[in-house]
Amino acid sequence: MAAQTTNPSKGGEPGAFAAFLASIGGGFLSAAQTTGGMTILLARILSRVLRIKVDGRELWKNLYKMAVKSLPIVVVTALFTGAIMVIQAATIVKRYGAEGLLGWGAGFGTLREIAPLLTALMISGRVGANNTAELGTMVVTEQLDALRVLAIDPISFLIAPRFIAIVSTLFMMTLFADALALLGAAYTGQALLGVSPTTFYNGLTAGLLGFGDVANGLLKSVVFGLVMALASCYFGLSTSGGAPGVGRAVNATVVTSAAGVFVLDYLVSFALGG
Amino acid sequence: MSNQVGTLEKQEHEELGPVGLLGAAAIDLYIGGRELYSVFVRTLFYTFRGRRDKGAVLHQMYEIGNRSVFFISTTMGFLGMILVYQSGLQAKRVVPEFTMLGATYLELLVRDFAASLGALMLATRVGAGIAAEIGSMVVTEQVDALRMCAADPIDFLIVPRFLASMVMTFCLIIWAGTVAFVAGGLTAYAAFDVPLQTFFNMALVDVGDLSIGLAKCLAYGVAIPIVSGYCGLSTFGGSEGVGWATTRAVVNTSLAIIILNFFISGAGFLIFPG
Repeated sequence: MAAQTTNPSKGGEPGAFAAFLASIGGGFLSAAQTTGGMTILLARILSRVLRIKVDGRELWKNLYKMAVKSLPIVVVTALFTGAIMVIQAATIVKRYGAEGLLGWGAGFGTLREIAPLLTALMISGRVGANNTAELGTMVVTEQLDALRVLAIDPISFLIAPRFIAIVSTLFMMTLFADALALLGAAYTGQALLGVSPTTFYNGLTAGLLGFGDVANGLLKSVVFGLVMALASCYFGLSTSGGAPGVGRAVNATVVTSAAGVFVLDYLVSFALGG
Repeated sequence: MSNQVGTLEKQEHEELGPVGLLGAAAIDLYIGGRELYSVFVRTLFYTFRGRRDKGAVLHQMYEIGNRSVFFISTTMGFLGMILVYQSGLQAKRVVPEFTMLGATYLELLVRDFAASLGALMLATRVGAGIAAEIGSMVVTEQVDALRMCAADPIDFLIVPRFLASMVMTFCLIIWAGTVAFVAGGLTAYAAFDVPLQTFFNMALVDVGDLSIGLAKCLAYGVAIPIVSGYCGLSTFGGSEGVGWATTRAVVNTSLAIIILNFFISGAGFLIFPG
C-alpha cells in the first residue's frame, strides 16, 4: 500500500507490481518474524530445561495424553505404510525377479525415510495441532495471564513439559512405527507376492542394512520433534482473536510443521549422507 | 445430536470395563462413519441438484488452489530431492548404475508419491483450513443462521469446497509431481552426476501407472473436503472445540488418504501387474 503512494503518476500497472512486491516482502518479513520468535522461545525453553525447572506432573500428564493416546493412529498408519511400500516395490521385484531383495528394498525406504516422515506428519496432526489448540484456548481465555499473576512461570509450568513430551513422543512413536511398518510389509509381501516373512526377514538382515539406517531414521525423528514442538508452542502462544483465532493458529501450526519437517528432512539426509 | 451422545459416552467411559471401552469406541466409529457417509451423499446430491453459485466455487478454488501453490512447491521440491538422494544411495549399495534411476523414479512418482504425499500436504493445508473455517462458523452460530434461512449448510458450505477441491487437487498434484521430478533430476545431476537427458526418461510410465495416479488424485480430491468438512460441521464448544475440530480434520483426512492409498495401490497392482 505504501509503495503505491510513492509513485502514483505511473498508473495502475506499476502499482499492482509494487503491491505484488510488497506482498512478497510481507511474506518474508512474517517468515522472519516466525523464525525469530521460535528461536527466542527455544532459548527460553532450553534455559528452563537445563536448570531442570520443569513441572514433573505436567510432563507426565502430557506424555500420557500425547504418546499413549496416539498409539492407535500410529499403529494403523505404520501397518498401512509398510503395506504400501511393499506394493510399490512389488512391481520392481517382479520385473527383476529379485524376491530376496524385497526386505531390503522395503526396509531401506521405510526405516530411513517413510516411517519417520509419516509418523511425524500424523503426530503433527494429532499432537502438535491439539497442543496448539489447548495453548491457544488458554491464551484466548487469559489463563496464561492468570498464571503470571500467580507468579508461576508459564514456560516452565506449561511450555517446557509439552516441548519435552512432544519430542520424546515422536521418538518413541517412530520406534514403534519402524517395527510395525516392517511387520505390515512382511505380511503384505506374503499375501501379494508369495514372499514368505522369513525371506523378507533375511533380506532385511543380510548385511545391506545396518544399525546406521535405523539410527538415521531415529535421529531424523528427534529433529522433526524439535521443529514440531517449537511450531506448536509458538503458534499456540501467539494466538489472538477468539475461536477463529484458535482455528487459524492450528492451521499455521500444521502447515509450518509440515514444511519444516520436509526441509529439515532434506538437510539431515544430505548432512548424514550414506 | 450425535455429538451430545459422544460427550455422554465420554463421561461414562470411566465406569466401563475394557470390553465396554472397546464397544464404546466401536459405536463412536460407527456413528462417525454413518455421518460421514451422510455428508458425502448429501454433498453429491446438492452437487447435481442444488443451486449454482459460480462465485463461491471460484473463490474456494483460489483459496484451496492458488494459496497452496507455494507450500506445495516447497515441500514437494524438497521431497523430490530427498527421494532421489535416498534411492541413489540405495542403488549405490547394490549396482552403482544410475541409467534407470530417473525412469524408475518417474514411475513411482506417477503411480504413488506425487499423489499421496502431495495429498497429505494438502490435507494439512486445505483440510485444516476448511475445518477451522467451518468450525468457527458453527461455534459462532452462523451455521444455525443458515439453517434458519432454510439453507442447508452442506449446499452452501461443503459443495463449493468439494467442487473446488476436486479440480484443484488434480492441478496441484500434477504440479507437485512436476516440481518433485525436476528437483529430483537436479539432485541426481548434482549428487550422482546423472546427465539430465538420461534422467528425463519416460520409458517405464505406462497406462496402468497413469490411471492409478489419476484415480488417486480423484479419490483424494473427494476425500479431503468431505472428511474435513464433516469434522468442521461436527464442532461443538467454544474456541477449544474449533481447535479440536481442526486437529481431527488433519488426522482423519491423513488417515483417509493412507487407507485409500492402500486400497487403490492394491487394486492397481492386481489390475495392472508388472
